Amino acid sequence: MIPFLAQARFPAPEFENYTVPQLQLETLVRDPIAWRVSALLIFLVVSGLCFYRWRSSKVMRLLALAGVVIFGFIFTACPCPVGMFQNLLAAFVHGQPLGYGLLLLFAIPLAAALLFGRLFCAGACPLGAVQELLLWKAIRIPVPVDRALRFIPIAIFLFVAVAVVAGMAFPLCSLDPYLPLFLWSCTIPTVAFLVLGLFVSRPFCRYVCPYGVLLRLFSLVSWKAPSVTAQTCITCRLCEQGCPNGAILPPESAPTSEEQARGVRRLSRLIAVVPLALCLGGILGWIAAPVISSTHPAVRLLADIEAHRTGDAVEAFEASGTPLAQLQNEVAQTRHVFDWGMPLAGVLLAGAVMAELIAQARRRRESSSYTIDQSLCYCCGRCYAACPLNRKRETRKGTAT
Amino acid sequence: MISTRKFLRMLFGGGLLAPFLWLAGKRKSRKAAFLWQIDPDKCIQCGKCETACVLEHSAVKCVHQYAACGYCLFCSGYYQDKRVKFDTAAENLRCPTDAIKRKYIEDPYFEYTIDESACIGCGRCVKGCAAYGNGSLFLQIRQELCKQCNQCRIAEICPSHAVTRVPADQPYIFKRPPEVKT
Ligand code: SF4
Ligand code: SF4
Ligand code: SF4
Ligand code: SF4
Ligand code: SF4
Repeated sequence: MIPFLAQARFPAPEFENYTVPQLQLETLVRDPIAWRVSALLIFLVVSGLCFYRWRSSKVMRLLALAGVVIFGFIFTACPCPVGMFQNLLAAFVHGQPLGYGLLLLFAIPLAAALLFGRLFCAGACPLGAVQELLLWKAIRIPVPVDRALRFIPIAIFLFVAVAVVAGMAFPLCSLDPYLPLFLWSCTIPTVAFLVLGLFVSRPFCRYVCPYGVLLRLFSLVSWKAPSVTAQTCITCRLCEQGCPNGAILPPESAPTSEEQARGVRRLSRLIAVVPLALCLGGILGWIAAPVISSTHPAVRLLADIEAHRTGDAVEAFEASGTPLAQLQNEVAQTRHVFDWGMPLAGVLLAGAVMAELIAQARRRRESSSYTIDQSLCYCCGRCYAACPLNRKRETRKGTAT
Repeated sequence: MISTRKFLRMLFGGGLLAPFLWLAGKRKSRKAAFLWQIDPDKCIQCGKCETACVLEHSAVKCVHQYAACGYCLFCSGYYQDKRVKFDTAAENLRCPTDAIKRKYIEDPYFEYTIDESACIGCGRCVKGCAAYGNGSLFLQIRQELCKQCNQCRIAEICPSHAVTRVPADQPYIFKRPPEVKT
């Protein structure tokens, strides 16, 4: 590192008995990403053992506590896999640097989801772990409302993706309400989400987290599935009431012919409105595009310059000596991305809504017991505790010793 | 034998993985790790570094390149523009936290040192030094303080886009001479 002058208004003095100190800054910067990745791997393995072997909600609670301490406070939460799809997109579209460590951080929880469901959400995700610990008195959210709100993460995912492609700074990172907590500070969204989290199970996970969308998709086909009890389900419904996340599916009996006919009618009606829904999504996206693109810094800067407003950004732009044409070009490109991206996002969102509705309208496989919908399950183990069959075994063990 | 259902599931899983593998394979820069840093040539010392950092005490500090310093008696980084007189009373000094320490070397030269524990990264001294002096003071993100956020909050709002990712083996950006500015 050879020092250079930006300007030399005054010559360097010549001293008699004084040596000019050298500017020393630590060049050896500790890179914790390898530690982070290894910790994540180990934690996921432990989570898997706890969730599938130990099967105790208390152990899962302890795991969440460990997750808050390790990934929240020791590793200060950020960068965490939740925001990593932004890096992936930015690396791809803008050639932004992306190290292997971050790539692994993104991929490992998804691979785990493909094998064992959303183990990552059990405790390795500091955001999820905080919410897990906070839940105090869960309010049951009506199922239709819950299902409707669950589309928000998909919308956020798509919006963030478009914004990153358009060259905005990672919007999700400013959206994360829990990060200030791990840095021992507090903002209004932090408090709001923490208080909400006392009464609503995992408000951020269920209604905000865009990484959850990916985890949900990946865990749809996961290789191993948990079951509420190892014994034969007596359909007491207690696990369904015990799950604060609405992840328990009731038994499905063979349909009567009338039910079947009704189902077919509903399904065909849904399929008929698909094109309509897609168009509507596209139009909404098209309407939103100019509104959202006007928040892009380059667009704002150009507007400021054209309106002869002053400000830090204008000053910096003038100081940098960048030709105006270059900025105009950049703005045109940004607008282009939004003009195409937002309608596309709208169409995809509408598609996701329709896919979900169709998936719900169609009959599931017959089953005589309550089962866990892995794509919505955060591996908290509360249903294990709720199931009377599991409890009986515990008390029997308790009396035996 | 794999059942049809299992096969379809595997197909679906593969279909999910493929776009991400493809994205990952296409990424351009493959260095191991990157850190955030301020390019002092672009920085206009707007003062946002002081408050924008997620840390309560900003990871940005002023650093002093002694070799570029004129050791001026009337340091424009040290003294206010509207000072009453050249003495060390607080109203005459630029630094709001008195983080710049001044030491007499020999006539008429003074050495200026930044007390990093007191510096809040406001950049006022940097602005003064850049405007009237040699520009030997400049702002840097101190890597041992920085939490390496995935998205540096300063980079997000920096009006001059001075905060960028640098390879971890070159964690600081010092000033370059004006003629090789790109
Ligand atoms: S849903 Fe998102 S925020 Fe919640 S635990 Fe999972 S990854 Fe973390
Ligand atoms: S483990 Fe899953 S299904 Fe069971 S209560 Fe928790 S979130 Fe619900
Ligand atoms: S925000 Fe940017 S321009 Fe302002 S002081 Fe920091 S680096 Fe310099
Ligand atoms: S004026 Fe600001 S940047 Fe300079 S030393 Fe003082 S606190 Fe630090
Ligand atoms: S990366 Fe985070 S901790 Fe570091 S300077 Fe930026 S905001 Fe501050």
